[in-house]
Amino acid sequence: MARVAIDRLSKTFPPPTKGGDPVVAIGDISLDVEGNVFVSIVGPSGCGKSTLLNILSGVETPTRGSASVTEGDRPAHLGYVFQDARLLPWRTVMDNMMYVRDDGDAGAAKAALYLDMVGLSHTHDMFPGQLSGGMQQRVGIARAFSVEPDLLLMDEPFSHLDAITARSLRDHLQELWSATRKTVLFVTHDVVEAVQLSDRIIVLAPGGRIFDDITIDLPPRSPRQKPLVSRRGWPLRASGRRGPPPPSRGTRRR
Amino acid sequence: MTAAPVAIPEAPTPPGGVRRWLNSPVGAQVTAAVVFIGAWQLLTLIAPRVPGPIEVMQFLFVEITGGSHGGIVRGQFFEHFAITLQRFSLGLFFGFVSGLLVGILIGSSTLARALLNDTVLVLLTMPAFVWAFLTTMWFGITWQAPVLTVAFASFPFVAINVAQGVRAIAPELRHMSTAFEVGRWKHFRHLTVPAVAGYIFAGLRFAIIIGWNGILLSEWFSGQAGVGFRTRYWFDANRYRGFVGWVIVFIVFIVLVDRVILNRLQARAFRWRDQKEVDFIEIQEQQVGL
Repeated sequence: MARVAIDRLSKTFPPPTKGGDPVVAIGDISLDVEGNVFVSIVGPSGCGKSTLLNILSGVETPTRGSASVTEGDRPAHLGYVFQDARLLPWRTVMDNMMYVRDDGDAGAAKAALYLDMVGLSHTHDMFPGQLSGGMQQRVGIARAFSVEPDLLLMDEPFSHLDAITARSLRDHLQELWSATRKTVLFVTHDVVEAVQLSDRIIVLAPGGRIFDDITIDLPPRSPRQKPLVSRRGWPLRASGRRGPPPPSRGTRRR
Repeated sequence: MTAAPVAIPEAPTPPGGVRRWLNSPVGAQVTAAVVFIGAWQLLTLIAPRVPGPIEVMQFLFVEITGGSHGGIVRGQFFEHFAITLQRFSLGLFFGFVSGLLVGILIGSSTLARALLNDTVLVLLTMPAFVWAFLTTMWFGITWQAPVLTVAFASFPFVAINVAQGVRAIAPELRHMSTAFEVGRWKHFRHLTVPAVAGYIFAGLRFAIIIGWNGILLSEWFSGQAGVGFRTRYWFDANRYRGFVGWVIVFIVFIVLVDRVILNRLQARAFRWRDQKEVDFIEIQEQQVGL
């Protein structure tokens, strides 16, 4: 089981203009995620959601504090689904799948399996430019799952897609997650999406601070059937707006 | 109220056979060649010392077939051409490989850029004939002089183009590689090289042209054999048809390398760009027999 331990993490970027103020992307966050859970991080643009994932994946380094992702006593193996598919346009779909794997034929079989799971078994020899945006993103999802990561990072993977494609991909994601039960950190600014998919929702506020931490423990994952209560005790509707006090079906944490 | 009928203009009739051929790329190229040869022939009427196209072709025929040039000397086309090609290939290999490595270094490291970028820019401004002089001074009349002239003259063109290409690699793809912990060699082979391919081809094109110029000059100054030496031989012998004939060989070789080798390599490297988006709905309809 992967464990994400974030301790008093801060990330400040240099001023974008000469003489300007430094940009605080993350301001003193502490967080612990453990187990095969689907955790969503929601918040407005610029609150440090993507920066947090970049630090966890080693793309960015923190300014202060620490962040570690472990599986037992070793560093965890990561998968990443980005906002856009980020496929190599000059390599075929199968070559893109194999780009992130180090094994040979066994890896190809596994890659083919995950492509099949997202309904793209017929695209192995095609180039990404031959696929629609939604299909490319499905390849991106299959690629991330195919490395069989201990922790899967997903950075607003459906934000560039139309509503129908996004819904279809959410279904694919739910199926894949149900089949694999990976630990997932899922960044989104869509509260409904977070509620539909998650076991736990962490709400970030501007300035990169944790505003709220919500645990959801009622299947199935449907926004209509899932009442929830925030850490602050505010009942939430699926739309993310506060509503009247709910029945005692949600769980409070901390 | 009834709307007045709108007259739909008729589509223009496509041009006929000869006009269509003249408007095609092949037609335009053939026309340009014919105009050039015509202008060349006209020039011989104004300047009698300029050898005409037929005269030059006759010379090249004798030179290529190994016939006798009026009892003076026999044609030695293949011997000289092979020697030059050998030297050129070796020099281009050194210039290209070193340019590729230095270009990648400059493109990917700020320190290397600060250290090497200006030096490469200075080398870029050096004309090929300077290298031809310098290598002749350093190595004398040896095979190293033309080889190194090609290497020195071609190196900065490859390096500067590749450096620009590396800097232009999408950071998103680099982040993807980092996030998935892709190994360095794999990253280089599958991401860096294909991403920079366009810049590599541009650099290689310049390198071939500049290197070919360089070897002609170097062999002219210091050669005992080769295309440059043979061109000078005919120049010194006051046989301008020989001189122009070898210059034409020189130009035709470059054009053939560009058209036959580089264009094909480029088409192969960029075949992924030419793929059309697949209509999956159509495929599904075909599968269910609609």
